[in-house]
Formats: sequence, C-alpha cells, structure tokens
Amino acid sequence: MSGTKKYWNSVQHLEGDETFLKTADKEFAEQIPVEDFLSKTPLESTTTSRRDFLKFLGFSVSAATLAACETPVIKSVPYVVLPEEIVPGVPNYYASTYYDGNDYASILVKTREGRPIHIKGNDRSELTKGAINARVNSSLLDLYDSKRFTAPQKAGTQISWENADKEIKEKLRNTIASGKKVVIMTNSIISPSTISLVNTFAGRLSSYSNLEELNLVEHVTYDALSSSAILNANNDTFGSAVIPTYNFDKAKVIVSFGADFLSNWLMSTTYTKQYAQVRKPEADWMTKHYQIETGMSLSGSNADVRMPVKPSELGKLIVMLYNEIAKKAGAPALKSSPLKDDNLNLSAGIKSIATELWKNRNNGLVISGSNDTNTQLVINSINNLLGSYSNTIDIQRPCYLKKGKDADVVNLVSEMKSGKIGAIIFNGIDPVYSLSNSLDFNAALSKVSLKVSTDTKPNQTTALCDFVCPDHHYLESWNDAQPSYANYSLIQPVINPLYKTRQFQETLMAWANIDGTYYDNIKDNWNKDGYPTSGASSFRNFWNNSLRDGVYSAKIDGLLTGGYNLSSDKLARAADNIYSIKSSDWELELYTKTSIGDGRHADNPWLQELPDPITKVVWDNYIAMNPVDMKEMGFTVNLQQETPANIAKVTASGKEISLPVFPVPGQKRKTIGIALGYGKTIVDDKLIGKNAYPFLTTNSQNDILFYNTDVKIESTGETYLMASSQTHNTIMDKDLEDPEIGRKIVNETTIATYKKGKDAYNPTLTLVDSYGEEKTTDKLDLWAPHKYDTFGHRWGMTIDLNSCIGCSSCVTACHSENNVPVVGKDEVRRNRDMFWLRIDRYFSSDMDVNKAEEEGLGSWEMYSAMEKPEEYPQVVFQPVMCQHCNHAPCETVCPVAATTHSNEGLNQMTYNRCVGTRYCANNCPYKVRRFNWFQYDKYKKFSDVNPSQDTVGRMVLNPDVTVRSRGVMEKCSMCVQRIQAGKLDAKKKKDKVQDGAIKMACEDACPTNAITFGDLNDSGSNVRKEFNNDRAYALLEEVGTQPNVKYLTKVRNIAESEA
Amino acid sequence: MSEMFGKVKYLLLVFMVLVFTTDYSLAQEEGAAIFKANCATCHSPGARRGTGPGLQGFWDRIPGGDDAGKTKWYLNWVKNSATIVNSGKDPYINKLYKEYGSVMTPQPHLSDEELLAVKEYIITYEPPVDVADSGGKQNPFIPVKEKTDYTTMLWLVSLAIIFIILVSALGSIKNSLQKSIAVKDDKEFKEPLPFPKNLLNWFANHKLQTGLLIILVAFIAFMQLYYSLMSVGVYQGYKPEQPIKFSHAIHAGENGISCIYCHHSAEKSAHSGIPSVNVCMNCHKGIQKGTWTGTEEIAKIYEASGFNPETGKYDGEQKPIKWIRIHNLPDLAYFNHSQHVTVGEIECQTCHGPVEEMHELYQYSELTMGWCINCHRETEVAGLAASDDEGEVAKNPYYQKMFNELRAQHKDVEVFQVEDIGGLECSKCHY
Repeated sequence: MSGTKKYWNSVQHLEGDETFLKTADKEFAEQIPVEDFLSKTPLESTTTSRRDFLKFLGFSVSAATLAACETPVIKSVPYVVLPEEIVPGVPNYYASTYYDGNDYASILVKTREGRPIHIKGNDRSELTKGAINARVNSSLLDLYDSKRFTAPQKAGTQISWENADKEIKEKLRNTIASGKKVVIMTNSIISPSTISLVNTFAGRLSSYSNLEELNLVEHVTYDALSSSAILNANNDTFGSAVIPTYNFDKAKVIVSFGADFLSNWLMSTTYTKQYAQVRKPEADWMTKHYQIETGMSLSGSNADVRMPVKPSELGKLIVMLYNEIAKKAGAPALKSSPLKDDNLNLSAGIKSIATELWKNRNNGLVISGSNDTNTQLVINSINNLLGSYSNTIDIQRPCYLKKGKDADVVNLVSEMKSGKIGAIIFNGIDPVYSLSNSLDFNAALSKVSLKVSTDTKPNQTTALCDFVCPDHHYLESWNDAQPSYANYSLIQPVINPLYKTRQFQETLMAWANIDGTYYDNIKDNWNKDGYPTSGASSFRNFWNNSLRDGVYSAKIDGLLTGGYNLSSDKLARAADNIYSIKSSDWELELYTKTSIGDGRHADNPWLQELPDPITKVVWDNYIAMNPVDMKEMGFTVNLQQETPANIAKVTASGKEISLPVFPVPGQKRKTIGIALGYGKTIVDDKLIGKNAYPFLTTNSQNDILFYNTDVKIESTGETYLMASSQTHNTIMDKDLEDPEIGRKIVNETTIATYKKGKDAYNPTLTLVDSYGEEKTTDKLDLWAPHKYDTFGHRWGMTIDLNSCIGCSSCVTACHSENNVPVVGKDEVRRNRDMFWLRIDRYFSSDMDVNKAEEEGLGSWEMYSAMEKPEEYPQVVFQPVMCQHCNHAPCETVCPVAATTHSNEGLNQMTYNRCVGTRYCANNCPYKVRRFNWFQYDKYKKFSDVNPSQDTVGRMVLNPDVTVRSRGVMEKCSMCVQRIQAGKLDAKKKKDKVQDGAIKMACEDACPTNAITFGDLNDSGSNVRKEFNNDRAYALLEEVGTQPNVKYLTKVRNIAESEA
Repeated sequence: MSEMFGKVKYLLLVFMVLVFTTDYSLAQEEGAAIFKANCATCHSPGARRGTGPGLQGFWDRIPGGDDAGKTKWYLNWVKNSATIVNSGKDPYINKLYKEYGSVMTPQPHLSDEELLAVKEYIITYEPPVDVADSGGKQNPFIPVKEKTDYTTMLWLVSLAIIFIILVSALGSIKNSLQKSIAVKDDKEFKEPLPFPKNLLNWFANHKLQTGLLIILVAFIAFMQLYYSLMSVGVYQGYKPEQPIKFSHAIHAGENGISCIYCHHSAEKSAHSGIPSVNVCMNCHKGIQKGTWTGTEEIAKIYEASGFNPETGKYDGEQKPIKWIRIHNLPDLAYFNHSQHVTVGEIECQTCHGPVEEMHELYQYSELTMGWCINCHRETEVAGLAASDDEGEVAKNPYYQKMFNELRAQHKDVEVFQVEDIGGLECSKCHY
C-alpha cells in the first residue's frame, strides 16, 4: 500500500501548484534579487570613476594590511580563588527542575565556568525519565533575556529593595488593619516549601488584624491553561479535587478527545516518554491511538485514527461513546440524539472505538482536554465502566501540576470589583493579558489599592502594578517541587543572580519578617517530611544525594481517596448540559502551540523561530482553517514567499481581531483555530501575532472554555506575508502524477503488513547497472569503499519514525548546542533559515478512492471522507539533518576542499576554508546545508531577534563551537565537539568508547528516544542493531549517497483496510 | 654563590612543606633548616608578622624567668601548644591568642636538641641584605641598552666608497690611455657612452643574462612578498609586558616547580589554565620578597588576593589579575591540552620552548596550522610490531584496536605517525 501513497508537504505540493513545482528542486524558491543589492540606477550613470575605484581599493587593502599587522592584546583574567569544582574548560552538570506553571521536567544543566549553556533531561527522575520538550531546553535563553527587570520598580522607576520593602510592608499592614484582604495570586505552586511559606506568610500578616476569626490573607491559584474541569469532576466522582496519574504505558487503547497530551496537556513530558514506549511494532503489542479533535494537534498528527469534530460536538461524541460502552457493560444509557452533521460518519467511528475499548477492558484510557466539568464527568464514568481506574489511571497517586479552579478566579474578580481586596501580589502569571476581557479583570484590578507583581519581565500586568519586585530566574533560585504524589525534586541555582533581583519566596519572607533564608526553609522541610521515610543514614546524606540526583521518589503508600461514587442523576444532568451546548455555523478553537505554550515564552527567539510542528509557521499566529473552506471563502491557499495570506477579521463574543488565514489540512471543516500566547512580544516595532485570550468564554459552572461558538469571519481585503518553512527544502520525491514512479522518502506501513516481513514493506532496493545487472545500491558504486569500514570508528545514526512525534525539542537543543543563529521571520520567509536539523512534516492519504472500494474495505464507510485528503490527512514527521553520506555529493563539488570526509565517516565542514560558492548546497539531495548570508551576531537587522547580539545574551553560546561568520556554509556536524570530547574521555580513562557514552544534542533532547547514535564499527552498539533492523532504510537510497544516517519505517497500528 | 644556593634551598623547602607533609629528620646543627621546614610558614625569624608573631627577640619576651625556666617553657609550648591554649592558664599565651586568633600547630615530632638548635638560629638570625641590590647579577626585568655596533657598517660603507672611487679612477685612466693611444695611432677615438646608456646597451646585447637577472629579481621580490604575507597573524616571539614581573626562570627553572602545579588543568582540560591567585598565595604567603624585584611585585599578588602581609589576613578587596595572553589561537581552531599532555605525553617544552629559562615568557612556536600539521606528520606513535618500550599512545587500550588494524593493513610501514590515526582530519580541530 505504501507504494501508491502520495505524500505532500503543503497544499501547493498536493495540488501541483505551478510555481511550487517550478521551484521545488531549487535551493531558494525565488530568484535572488541581485539588482536590489546593486544600486537602483544603472551602472553607466554612476559617478564613481575608475580612479576613485582604485583609490578605494588601495585604501582598503592598506587599511586591512595595517589592521592585520598589529598584535591584538588579549587579556586573560583567572579567578582570584578558583572554586573547587571548576576546572576551566570542563563543563559541570547540575541537576535541577523546570517548572513554569505548565510544564514539569527534571533537568540537567550544563555549565561552563559558572554559566549555564545547555539544558537536557535528567534520566534519574522516575517521573519524567529524562523527557523534556522544546520549551524546557529553550528556557535557558530566558535567563539571558535583556528584557528582564534588573531591580525593583515603583511606578516604572527603579527603587532600592529597602525602600520597596518598607513601603510595601507598611501598606500590607494597613490593608489588613483596615479589614481588607491581601491576595497572593499565582499559578499552581507545586513546591511544598513555598506552600508552607505562603501559609506562614498568611499567618504573620493576619496577626495585624483585630478580627481574629477572619482569614484576611488568601492564596488564589490561577492557571491560564486551566484544568479545572478535571478537578471538579474528580471532586464529584471521588470526593477529592485532584488530577490523577495517567499511565499511558499501560494503555493498549488510547482515546483522546481533544487532549494534546504529547505537547501541552498536564504532565506531557512524562506522557510522551510513556507513549513512545508502547508504540514499538517489535513489542508484543502496540497501543492504538484514537484522537478526536478540532484542529490538527501534535497528538492528533500522531494518532492512528484521527477524527475531526467541532468543539461544540466533542461532548456529544463522548456521551455517544458512553452509551456504546454502557450497552456492552449493561449500564443504563444516557439521553442522546444523533449528530446533526455526520458527513464523516463520526457515529460509526465512535462505535468502532467502543468495540476496540471493550475488547481491551482494563487496558483502555479515555481522556479529554475539554475544560467543561460535565464532559469530564462523562469521561470519568466511561473510564469507570472500562475499569481504567484499576490500571491506566491512578487516582491514589495524584499529579499536582494544575491546581487552579476557575470558580475561585471568578469569585476573586467579583470580590475585587466589590472592593473587598486591598492588596494583590502576582507571581508567575499575567492575568491582565490572559484574563483581561473574558472576566473584565482590568476593571476589577483598578479597584485594588496595592498591586505588586514579582514577574521577571515586563508584561501587561506589571504595567498596571504599583510595585514590581522581580523574582530570580529559576536557574538562579533554590526551590523544591512535588509534581506528583510520591515524586519530589529540587531546584538549585547554577549561576549567581545576574541582576538585583530577589527570589519571590525571600520577598514574602522579608514582608512578613520571617527570619532565615528560603534555602534553610527548604532544608528544614525536607528534614521534617522527606528524610524520616527515606531510610537514609543521615539527613546530610539524604540531602546531598537528593541534590545530586535532583529528584527523590518516596516509597510511600497511595493517598486514600473514596472509590468511584457518581450518582446517575448527576451523570444524566451532565449529559443534558452537554446536549444543551449550541452548535453554530462557524466555531473557533483556542489552542496552544508546541513552541509558545500559554505565552510565557513569547519573548524567546529560539521558540519563536521554532516552526510549528504542523503548519511550520514561525514568528506568527494565524487563523488555522481547512484549505477547502479557504477556497470556498476565496482566501489564497497557495502561499509562497511573495504570495501573502489574506487577513480575515474574526468576531466572537463581541470582540474582534484580524489575523492572516493559513491553510491547515485536517482542521475540521467550518471551524477555525487561533493559537493563544501571542500578541505579547514586539520585534522591529511590530507586535508578534495577536492575543486570542479575549475569546475565551465561561459556562454556567464558571469553567473557562477554550472555544467559542459565537463566531463570524470576514475578509478584510488586506494581505500579510507569512514565513513558513514547510515548502522549503522539498526533496526530490515521488512523481506527483504517478506515485508508482519515484523515490521513497518516508516509508510507512501498517502493523498487518509489517508482520508479513521486510519484503512486504521495506524491500531491499536494487538498481540495474549499465550491463543490465541488478545490484544493491552499495554495490553499484563509482568509488572504492572507505577505509573506516573496517578501521577505527564509523559514526552513524538512526531515527525511528515510529517514535518521532514531531515535538521539535531536538531542533531547539541543536540551536543551543551548536550556536545556530536565529534569523527572524523575514529571512525564514526567504528560505534562509539556519536549522541544522529540520523536521519535515508530510501529509498523506490514499488518493485512490476507487481502489479502496475495489478492495471492499470493512470500515470503508467510516473513512469515506478520505477522498478529500485535505480534510482527513495522515501525518508523518521526519527529522532531517546532514546524512553524512559515504559518497557525499557536496564533497566532490567543493572547489576549495572545505567539506571533506573524515576517517570516522563524518562529512566535515571546515568554515575557515569555505569561500561560499554554495556549490555544495546546490548539490545536496537532502537540502541540509545552510549559508550564512549575514553576520547574524552583529548586523543591525537581527538586533531584535538574535540573542547573541547583546553581551548578556551572548553568554548562552557554547564556547566549544565556532560562531560562524558571514559567507560560509554550515550544516549538522554530528555534534563533532561531543564526539571529540567523548573520545578524549575514553583515551584518558584508557578504555574504548562505550556505547551510549557519546550522545548527540538531538538524541539527548529526544523525549521518545527516536534518535540513536553510536559507532557502527562496534558490533554490539545499539546503532548497529538499529541499522540492521528490518525497518531501516536510507533516505533517497537510489541516489547512491550511502548515508550514515538511516530511518526506521513508521508502522501505523491500523488494519490494512484503514490505511 | 653560596648565598644563592641557600636562597634556593629555602624556597624549595618552603615549597615542599606546603605541598607535601613529610617527616624530616635533619642534623642538629641545621637549626635554620628545621626552622624553615616546620616554622617558616607562619613565623618569620625576623620582626615581620606572619600568621604568627615575628620571632626576633622572642627569648627576651617569653615567660619562665631565667634561662633554664625559659628553656622549659619554650620546649613545653612548642610541643603542646594546643593544650596550653585550650587550658587558658598561661597569661602570656592568652594575650597572644587574643591578638592572633589562631592556635599554633603543636610540633611534638621535634626533639629537644632540634628545638634548641632552632632557638639558636633565631637568636643569631640576621636579616639578609636586600637581594635586589646585591649579587651583581643583571636583573632580567630591566632591559639592557644594547650598544649598537656601527663599526662594521662604517667599514663597509667606506670600503664601498673607496671601491667606487677606484673603479671610476681606473675607468678614467683607461679612457685617457685609450684616448692617447688613439691619438698616437691617429685613430678615431669614440667617446664612451655615459654609464646608464652603457648599461642599457649591455642589457640589449646580453638578452640571456638580462632575462635571467629579471627572473632572479622577480623571484626574490615574490619570496619577500610571500614571507611577509605568511607572517601576517603569526606572533612568534610575542613578548608582551605583563602586569606582574613574573619569572618562569625562577619558578620553573631555579626552583624546579612542576608546570602542572600552577597550570593544573593542562592534564584535564582543553585549557592549561592560568593559575588563580590562591595558587600563588600557597607559597607567597610565606615568601614575601622576590629574587629580583624585592617586595614590589609580590605586593601585587597581595593586592589581587586581598591579603594583608602585616596582619596575615585576607581582609582586602579581591581584584583579579589581568594577565596578557601570549598564546592565542584563532577562534576557528580548537586545541585541547589534555589530549597532548595526558594522552600524547608531550612535554610542555615541545611547544612552549625552554620556559624554565625564560624570565619573561614569549611565544616560542609559530602556532600556525603548518606547524601543527608538521608535528602530526612527524610524531611517531607506534611501530609496526608492538613492543614493551613503545610510547603511551601505542599502549593506550583506546588505540590498541586501531593499531592492530593498521599493522595488519600496512606490512611495509615501519612506524606510524599521528596522521595515520586521523591526526590530519579537519574536524579534529575545526568545528
């Protein structure tokens, strides 16, 4: 089947757009405007004479010579007292924890001479097991952000900490004394020490009051991306408002109703790791993943079966699923009615999901990303019928990431409006930005007399605050965390504070006159709570071990909660409420991107430049719309470098914003999606994207809903140029007219075909030579084999397409490790992005409807809509970096031998030799070579986007890797600095290089272990085993480049008929 | 000379005390040596205050009454100092403890005879004359004004002038002789052409020689240009003036301190490391006067580390020393010391030259890529057959497999150089 499948990277590609096809094989899609570089007037009319030219030439030559003659004076400043643990030039790693209110990850921070330069996952964590995502490793750049507050401010002017403390303390005392409330508003706090500190703070402040019985200090938790509905539903079902632990690694069937658990939903780092573990075709069983959602999410793109649905109908499908399962389980059905719009045969799909789930009772997992309590109640009851609580969901050991209840926030806003709140302290949140219009937060805030923010960077909330008392960056802080019931971790500072900031907790201590340091507080807490059950010989040992490991897992019994206890009345009422949700013609889904999240990373250039996994758009948010709808509405679908997108005005709930419309295959028809988190950052005096939070709505139970059904869309007639890397680097692939002809770029198959053996899905490729002999590609060769085939090392890599979920954390890790420059939107639009590692995303679907019919497929009805691939595509992600070809086409064309082959199988790029002819890039079939068009770290065009332009931002650079200059080529070096370091380590230990001792930055960052690197000459190495795996194939094998990188065929867990 | 020797020994001893803790048993008469080995870290035999008090005139200060009493007290104190301080019963010691704030390390390993020898040494001690002014040796940090020798030049120039005069005189004599012969023979005499025209004529008539000459001149000019261009960015011999007149010749040469003692990261890291000030202070807390510069330069270390030699305390502000870096590789080249020092077992001097003879350090090698490559081509790492006396690289298990493969493949090669194991690969140094 895979042979006839058609893969396309964009709508232009699918439809065979003429401009696209014409330029697809070129390095740069558009003509290079040479004329623009020269003057606008023709050369003849210029006034520079030949003599002037010679004068300039002479001057510049002599100036350059003079400059070169002078010996530069370079100072070397050693430490006065060298810290014991530092050896200059040798990195130190410290275990710490990343937690920002949304993501949790246990991390290792690489520091060089006391400055953090790279973040990777910590394998010792039993929870995340080394998984991170792009937001986690990019958070490093926030530390060096020049926008950070450098000192406390009062009404926009800097003041000293002493004065700030004095004034705030007095005002807090007065507030309490006058009987008004002091509110600390934060995102979910998972630090046990901070929670106890907040309680102490509340107690100290309350003592100022004359009214003993009133608690005048309140802590309100507000999560911008709230999971309040799950808390409420579990409160109703189990009697405790907690989020359970989900065990994706135990689930044989995963059904997700709009929960993007691979990217943004709850403990996504852990889920990602678990998910990849059960997606291996070699194992006894492979989990089957259904995703029912509106827009194409990262999870949806990885699902075996994905069904698009309108957000207002999501709950109805869940009720339908309940009824199907109840039928099998013999439970009473809920009231339901057929779907109005069922052209995709969703009800048939739900039936087959129910069958699959029932078949795998106790091993199923049904989740929903909906923040509607009714929906979550039905989800709970489905999981109860399936017996999930015994296996795949652990309610006894809850996850503590999201604790915010929307009702508390609604209540707070009304209290603020009524003037009951006298002072409010914000930490880690920007409610003016994310709550402003939906709850009228701004108006409420103006009624509060003392407003203090402790944020690290200016945002919309700090702009309205009287005082800003900036917090440390987390890499400068001490803290602890309890992400789930039995898992603890520590946060330790890895750099001295860069500015006059103070940790939030110490600020609270100062205001409540609590003695000591927060560090002592944490230690005391761990001594009291963790140490007694740890079995360690002394607290010192316990503390030091925990600090070294970064994590501590307590061996304690589960929390006892009541069993499942949901009355049928409540459930029936929930179903009624779900059915009362009105659908409308157009519906809007508010989603979060893999890169920007809830918006706290909007200032991060690495993340802004990280292409969205699905749309590949950088530096913007947009209206995601199905291309079929776009055509119907007359919007341009075939966006090119110079072909702009149409701007449309979206009106919802009385608010309106205008954004460009971008085609997203797989988006549910008649729905649009807008990413949250934009409209915060200003680059080149322009706001990046628009804030979509005002479109959030609340239902009658005060749940904040991430969709809007009251939507109107109209064209504004304006246009906007967008930068999307999806059509860049189109590699020579199958003939679009006849998919039988052409080459294999992504190889995929179904589990059934996979079981038939290698020849069925990954036949050995043979070509016919000029003598008519059939030969495999390694035999059909002009060149002699390299000597490293038997000698020394031969480095190789495999990428498992089955494990790769497209999360892109490898891309940002590569940026961080290899000093890859950020180039900004305009350059990306011109195909001049600098990614050493890109993730190609292909849509695919079986085009041939008739063929499918001929085969008489069983569930054909369900997938009839496949005739419209734009509505129902499958997605494949393929990370592509330099393939380090044994017979590299780039090497043979370099006129100065700047790119050569090493005796360890690497394709070396020597920058100092490169003269920038770009022949190599032109000759690379994989299009992985990047040219430095500018001096990105100096040229003023990039001053807003490139972090290495300011002295603080430059500290993030890896000192072991050259910062490339203008005019040279660069590409993936296979982290040769890591290879060299690993080899040297082995030499010093007088030992061979152990398998796994050298890890690539991308491999290190991959949460699903899709990337394996090692020595192919080491017969016991993992990479050698993977190379010999039946699924392994080389990209564009027919070209004869014999890469040292291989891909493992993607296997979808679907019946052949469903493919 | 003997004084010089004593100085060296003194330094060496102090150094050894600081680095190693070894049990010494020295001859009785060498009270000085015992003092230096055991006491000098904290005490000066003169009046200068260190961690402990200066001992000049200590015999008069200590309690005990008469000589016998003082001796008893002295021996007891040195051997049981900690006990005495802790007991708090000796008013004299209590006073000192209040002033200095630290307990003297007890020295029970010293015999009574040894201690009395030390006492004799202190009593008879006379502070040395300032070394900077004595010895008659040239201070290497004060550059000698070299007298330029013009005589040879003068000789050459006058010789050339005489020669030119001689040639022109002979020429005119020849001319007038020819003229007179012509007149005598009644022949027509052709006035010789003026010199430049004559030269051109010669060139015109001798095309081969002229051609060769032009080629020669062009070749010389080209070579000149080539060498001057090749020297751009090469700073061989670079010897900047450092903020502190530190002499490697004294530290590494005369005192024989190992390079690794100060440049300790050379074995572990890419950088050899410029020693932090606390490393200097290991010795210079005690050694307060330098061989050539007296206290002037050592005072700069104290300033940097915030050390007060009067009180013996680190109570000042710390100011890092801004050394001027001599060996600079361009950013595009990656060099790792540990690969060469630890794995390759190359002597520091191979690249850095006779550092132990340099008062002021300079760049000894070219540090060009050609220089690196050359060494990688010439340095032998293993022979065709494995033998016991082969170098560390050949013995290193990491390289073993590689050499075995090489030996199997190349039966005709006698030795393998660094280049055979990948020493010329671009991305060994450029990434």
